[in-house]
Amino acid sequence: MAEFKKSFIAALWFVILTFPFVAMKVDSFEKVVTWRWDNVLYMGVGCFFFSWLWRYLLQRKEFSKTEDKNKKSLFQQTLKDRLFSDPKVFRPVLIAAFCVAVIFPFLFSPYQTTIMTTALIYVVLGLGLNIVVGLAGLLDLGYVAFYAVGAYSYALFNYYYGWGFWSILPAGAILAAMFGVVLGVPVLRLRGDYLAIVTLGFGEIIRLILENWDEVTFGPQGIPNIPKPNFFGLEMDFQTTTLYMYFVVFVMTIFTIVVVRRLNNSRIGRAWIALREDEIACQAMGIDTTKTKLIAFGLGATWAGMMGVFFAAKNSFVNPHSFTFIQSAMILCIVVLGGMGSIVGAILAALILVLLPEYLRAFSEYRMLIFGGIMIIMMVFRPEGLISNVRRKYELHGGEKN
Amino acid sequence: MMLKLNDIHTFYGNIQALKGVSLEIEEGEIITLIGSNGAGKTTTLMSVCGLTPPRTGEILFRGKQIHALNADKIVALGISQIPEGRRIFPEFTIKENLEMGAYLRNDKVEIRKDLDYMFDLFPILKERQNQRGGSLSGGEQQMLAISRALMARPTLLLLDEPSLGLAPIIVRQIFDIIKKINQEQKTTIFLVEQNANLALKVAHRGYVMENGQITLVDSASNLLNDEAVKKIYLGA
Repeated sequence: MAEFKKSFIAALWFVILTFPFVAMKVDSFEKVVTWRWDNVLYMGVGCFFFSWLWRYLLQRKEFSKTEDKNKKSLFQQTLKDRLFSDPKVFRPVLIAAFCVAVIFPFLFSPYQTTIMTTALIYVVLGLGLNIVVGLAGLLDLGYVAFYAVGAYSYALFNYYYGWGFWSILPAGAILAAMFGVVLGVPVLRLRGDYLAIVTLGFGEIIRLILENWDEVTFGPQGIPNIPKPNFFGLEMDFQTTTLYMYFVVFVMTIFTIVVVRRLNNSRIGRAWIALREDEIACQAMGIDTTKTKLIAFGLGATWAGMMGVFFAAKNSFVNPHSFTFIQSAMILCIVVLGGMGSIVGAILAALILVLLPEYLRAFSEYRMLIFGGIMIIMMVFRPEGLISNVRRKYELHGGEKN
Repeated sequence: MMLKLNDIHTFYGNIQALKGVSLEIEEGEIITLIGSNGAGKTTTLMSVCGLTPPRTGEILFRGKQIHALNADKIVALGISQIPEGRRIFPEFTIKENLEMGAYLRNDKVEIRKDLDYMFDLFPILKERQNQRGGSLSGGEQQMLAISRALMARPTLLLLDEPSLGLAPIIVRQIFDIIKKINQEQKTTIFLVEQNANLALKVAHRGYVMENGQITLVDSASNLLNDEAVKKIYLGA
């Protein structure tokens, strides 16, 4: 009953707040006010309903938490756990996803393929940032800077020296890694909020340099006519190029997933997670925290650099406007939404965050509203992300109990 | 001589925490450093393991200067530290915590052996090896912290207040283990404690610290009977 009362108050409050623009329609020519009382009613009932639903779900969440503890159902496997821990289930799913991805461009139009290509770029970016934020726990708000470094290294090397895509791909990655280490050195002592602010500043510095160094980067005009990657010098029409670009990024995505997975389970991966958990304990274990952090920054930036090169090639145009803070925020959203440190989570989140807005074009005016709403709901009900890292689960094998 | 601190001065910014501390630890000893809150006990320990390097003075480990080394290099030399407040990795399982202790080692077979030794030492850890570290009780966490440090096969073990926040019966158990480690593994132990009574009972020698300076050095049994120490630290 108390819940009903609270919901009622919330609804009433909302009705009062929104009253002027929901109920009154002012015609400034006729100088009359039309009162739309039915709107007020809808608003009130709607708010009441949502508020009540919200409370109900919150309560259920709390309830299930306590119940979990009582029953020790932490040891029970949910469907999701089975999906990711049991290879018998996981492998077919993986193979199916792979097959779908391979035949995707043949089933759908070039337009869809292009969207998917963009989504895959964000998958790789999400996985890259996942190393820095998800594993090492270093909150990086300027990740897009490394993306910009990659993109501009292709644009500039191509414009001035005529280098091709395939030779710049590793060069751009290495350059971005170097920038990552350069950023890493001054922020070694910083943690949490302070680190976030410095990285944010670094991201802006890179963008501002690109915007203002007219003689080299052509400022806000950007650099046009960047060639697409070639395939052993073959001439390709528009459709084949789209297809080709899709498969290039697809292979790079697979490569990223394999490497990040290996890193995850490696010695350095353990060190990153330990660093996230407790820095002093890390030092007591003999982990070189300086080196470990720099490697995280460097390796994280590498993927952004690679994708930057690819992005420049895909759009055949770069300008500083593609590398604003909102991009960093977007990639960070992918990591957080997917679940810190989780590979499958990052992939899913990237696909959702890129594809959803594309397919919600019909509601394009409400896009940010929906987006924001999803984020709020996610953080309240699943703060650990869509797919929390497997590490956070209890493992208990039947035989070892007692 | 295993460890020698020679007139070290350590600062936190402008605040001087250690005002010329000198002490010596022989191979195979259990040494305890006792003193009241804020005397500089923990700072002394952290100066040894490189977390708060001293501004002046020198620290010698087996005759080699180590005060300018980074914390991780010092661990590699065989000095393991159990930080105050245990600081286990809460999201790692117990086994993973122990494996982190052996981070600098590569010999899989020996690591496996040491893991079994730790499980012998603390059977409760074996029982719970696949649980998260954060799910352990305070005493179990302390056991985990000790065995995690031992996984590095240190020759010198630095222990910071193992009795902190633990029930008396658990504290006694932990001190027994400390003694056992010293005898079985020949590990030299440098113990910083507030619980002077217990610490002096397991230690061979003791140092008493006050306001960043060492005020008394003697064998543990002598300190236990010392009138001044009794009055101030033993509450008798």
